[in-house]
Amino acid sequence: MAVLVLVLLPAVAGALLFLLPRDDVRASKTIGALVALATIVLAVFTRHQQFSATWLTRPFVSNLHFGATSISWWIVLLLGIATFGAILATNVSRTRSFIALLLFLEASMLGLFLARDLLLFALCWDLMLIPVFLGLIHWGSHPATAWRYFIYNFAGGLLLLLATAAFGLSVGTTDVIGGTGVALVGPWVPWIFAGFAIAFLVKTPVWPLHTWMPLTYADTPAPMISVVAGVQSKAGLYGFITIGMVFLPEMMRAYAGLFITLGIISLLYGAVASLVQTDAKRVVAYSSLSHLGLILVAIFSFNPIALVGALIYIVAHGLFSAALFLGLGYVEEREETRSLVRLGGLGAANPRLTGALCIAVLAALGLPGLAGFAGELLMLIGIFAAGFAWAAILGLVAVVLASAYFLRLFQGMMNGPVRPDLPMRRDLTWIEALAVVPLLLALLVLGVNPHPLTTFNTAPYLQSSGGGR
Amino acid sequence: MVHHVMGVPGFYPWLLALWLLPLLGAIVCFAFGPQLRRVAGAFASAIVGASFLFAVICWGVGTQTVGGALGAHQVLFSWLPGFDFGLLLDPLSLVWALVITGVGCLIHIYSIGYLEGDRAFARFFAYMNFFIFAMLTLVLSDNFVGLLVGWALVGLASYFLIGYWFDRPSAVAAARKAFVINVVGDVGIMFAIILIYSRIGSLSFGDVFANVDKLGTATLLAVLVCLFLGAAAKSAQVPLHTWLPDAMEGPTPVSALIHAATMVTAGVYLIARCAPLWSASKDAQLLVGTIGGLTALLGAVLGMVQWDIKRILAYSTMSQIGYMIMGVGIGAYEGGVAHFLTQAFFKAQLFLGAGLIIHALSNEQDVRRMGGLAKKMPFAFWAMLTAVLAISGIPGFSGFFSKDLIIYGTLANGHPWLYAVGILTAGITAYYMFRLFFITFFGTYRGDVDPSSLGIRHPELAGVASAHADAEHLHMSGWVMNVPVAILMVPTVFSGWLLFGGTHSPWARFFVSQFAQIRLPAAPISEGLTSVLTFVLVLAGITVAYLRYATPSAQRNAVERLRRETVGMPPVLSNAFYFDAALDALFVRTSQWLGYLAARYVDPLVIDGGVREVVISTQWLGALARAFQSGLVRAYAVLLVAGAACFIAYYALAGGAR
Repeated sequence: MAVLVLVLLPAVAGALLFLLPRDDVRASKTIGALVALATIVLAVFTRHQQFSATWLTRPFVSNLHFGATSISWWIVLLLGIATFGAILATNVSRTRSFIALLLFLEASMLGLFLARDLLLFALCWDLMLIPVFLGLIHWGSHPATAWRYFIYNFAGGLLLLLATAAFGLSVGTTDVIGGTGVALVGPWVPWIFAGFAIAFLVKTPVWPLHTWMPLTYADTPAPMISVVAGVQSKAGLYGFITIGMVFLPEMMRAYAGLFITLGIISLLYGAVASLVQTDAKRVVAYSSLSHLGLILVAIFSFNPIALVGALIYIVAHGLFSAALFLGLGYVEEREETRSLVRLGGLGAANPRLTGALCIAVLAALGLPGLAGFAGELLMLIGIFAAGFAWAAILGLVAVVLASAYFLRLFQGMMNGPVRPDLPMRRDLTWIEALAVVPLLLALLVLGVNPHPLTTFNTAPYLQSSGGGR
Repeated sequence: MVHHVMGVPGFYPWLLALWLLPLLGAIVCFAFGPQLRRVAGAFASAIVGASFLFAVICWGVGTQTVGGALGAHQVLFSWLPGFDFGLLLDPLSLVWALVITGVGCLIHIYSIGYLEGDRAFARFFAYMNFFIFAMLTLVLSDNFVGLLVGWALVGLASYFLIGYWFDRPSAVAAARKAFVINVVGDVGIMFAIILIYSRIGSLSFGDVFANVDKLGTATLLAVLVCLFLGAAAKSAQVPLHTWLPDAMEGPTPVSALIHAATMVTAGVYLIARCAPLWSASKDAQLLVGTIGGLTALLGAVLGMVQWDIKRILAYSTMSQIGYMIMGVGIGAYEGGVAHFLTQAFFKAQLFLGAGLIIHALSNEQDVRRMGGLAKKMPFAFWAMLTAVLAISGIPGFSGFFSKDLIIYGTLANGHPWLYAVGILTAGITAYYMFRLFFITFFGTYRGDVDPSSLGIRHPELAGVASAHADAEHLHMSGWVMNVPVAILMVPTVFSGWLLFGGTHSPWARFFVSQFAQIRLPAAPISEGLTSVLTFVLVLAGITVAYLRYATPSAQRNAVERLRRETVGMPPVLSNAFYFDAALDALFVRTSQWLGYLAARYVDPLVIDGGVREVVISTQWLGALARAFQSGLVRAYAVLLVAGAACFIAYYALAGGAR
């Protein structure tokens, strides 16, 4: 039951926010932040709990089954921390509605990552599009971006739903996530796999399905995009791990070459594209294409160390992209531009903002000692051990490129002579700093010793074919 | 798998303290900078001094041998099997730890005077303490991942300190260049780690060195080439050296500590640490020895034609590290490590001495605009003179002993060409160091001469300070800067005597267990004859420098001579053999071009074309969007979530919990 409370709490709290006075910004933010904290606490205590209720019996069994798996529990914690930061960092018009949307977003993603039932997973997949779409329509500057986000991801969601239905019809149940593998047989298997795979590739995104992403990341308000880039982008990768590797391992292995190639193209394409962006948020957007491409490669190399590395990197990437987007949001709020051509010299007047962005950037470029490095190194070791030496080498090339484009981003904003034409507003308030501090602390702690993330049982994900049920 | 631990396992509180104390200092300086203000310098220096004291206390456990295990091993934590972290203190890491904290402490104290009145005084010392912590992590780690963490963190400290004056575009660019080139090296070490783990399944030094044979010849060579990529980037070896001269944008004490005495010698440490690997591959030894020799020669040649006092010293550092890399590369580990020790003293002293001059002349760094400083700055004169004698290899001074040990080692290990390069470079070194010395201290002061008459065409580009010092009112340094230099003079002159006595010298006995298995055979030319040969070339170098810059007539016509030398400089030399331009065209331009191709053409035209058609043709969606914007959004959101919640709640209750 506590798990159900965990999922519903942010949604209910989000709805109740509308009972507050419209202009009481402080109350909305306080309640929102407390709810996010409460979800973290609840998640900690419900690590091994589940909730299950019968939902459908025909045409296949489907249950309202929630409960963390050894992988998703970490993503749920990440989601809590990211939402907490996003709510504290919110500084937009109509704050109350925005925070409600952030809470709805959290609820839909909690549902997604806690779902033990595939149909539930697919429904939450579509549900989590809506807050972002509304955020883009309402607070973004280009409605076309919102529609592009929606069309791409809804098309993916539709394929996911169809694949789920086919899965349910051929297996008889969709209450399978986190359980032992189910032998999927029959002529529909390639189509089921294709449906899942395309949905996951769009969501991550992976080249060449990525073109919705730079626009969305640039146009969405920073607090919301910090959650989307940090956590929502992991939904596809999580799907590949908990659904693909467990139920469709033969298809995954058969097409590993294709997916690894797409991952490597994303990795390098994103890296070189980041090098030349002048919009700060687009630099991080393309870097995300690059980083998530590497995780895809790690997943498809079917290696225990690569999988451990992928989990560490999923968490690390969530932490540093959330921190980066919050930091870029602070810069944009203060200086009213994201252009690296116009920005510069902010360091002298903003030591706290500079420090926070610096740690986030260093984690993102894979500095040893921070969590990104641990994940990257383990992924590359596993990828190499799995026999994809060329992929590991190209992954290392991307590490060098990452240092170049992230330093270009950081120095372009913070260093150089002070620009007289910028407003140069005050440094971070302590609440703004509090929004990023948990993210940065987690990066430090997990960077020194990611041991908590390395101990999960990788065996269920690495069997050569689906086992009996 | 049987684990092979290096060092005697145990709990070593002094070792932990010596390692973590500078980290604590850095955190305190960062967090309480505004409160500490001027005390930050003294506080940070005391922290490093305490760390040095602890290193001395650890001497005993660092050199102990118990049942074949050498030194002390402290277990820390483990990521997962094969990724075990710990500290290892043995004679090799002890030498580094002592130099890092000892020379580091002196340079911290010196910095108190050098950066007096700087806006971000406490931040400077936070970075400096952080650097000491990072460097100790590098040399105390007992495994490759820990080493890489330290390796990258010193690079980060270097980045911060090169770009310390972050409002200067040149400093910002130099910092980024140094960082990116060093990441190239980090990536090399990462790939070596990947290769080692795939063959051996562990990354601790003990396990790896005990299982060298599991690597196989080809993989071993690949591992060593990758490790050397890391060493070359960090230690400024050809062709990854281009960041080091630019790194002189940092404050001078930073150049002394990081870009001369300690960090840039990390490559030497890495090779000496992995001696069991290197000694197993003749090909790798030849490669590293050759690159080291080439770097020694190239650095010396470029050192002959620089005008910026710090760039002369930077190229000289590059050249001296070339010697060290050549030494440890071909298997003369004791010699290479010894040259690290002596170079740390005399190069730190050279930089700190140069700092005294730069400080006195209000940031003037161009030697053409100095001259005649011997009388005005007698202390700097003596400090520079002893260090110049040491680096030139004058018998009796420290550099003489360590350099000759390397040069002799090349011949003993069968590399006559490297032997010749070593001797030739020694001569060039003596020339360019005395050139610096004569131009700076002899003749008359030229700071008040019109820059164009010295051939300086673009004073603002040539690094000529805008505020010129009046020759009569030099900004003389106080005791806080002079005392560290005076203390450094002692080892600069005498530390070489540790190497005196061949296999019975204190140095050889200190390392007898470390490099026991690696003994050099005798060379066809004796050690004494090598010293004589080298000394003859050194004397020739000094004579040429004297004839060109210090004879009475040369001193009288100094302005005209310097102008002619400036104007007549061949472009290939003033552009440092075009390494920068080549790297820029090959890598920087190419990746930028690919980036434009991807972001400006492929994305919008090729991939997006089809999607845009869909979006444009569905114009009605736009109308729908406007409807959403007009306030319906909130109602819709509430309905959506409320509906979803009711839906789930209904089934939760109706279905009943299982």
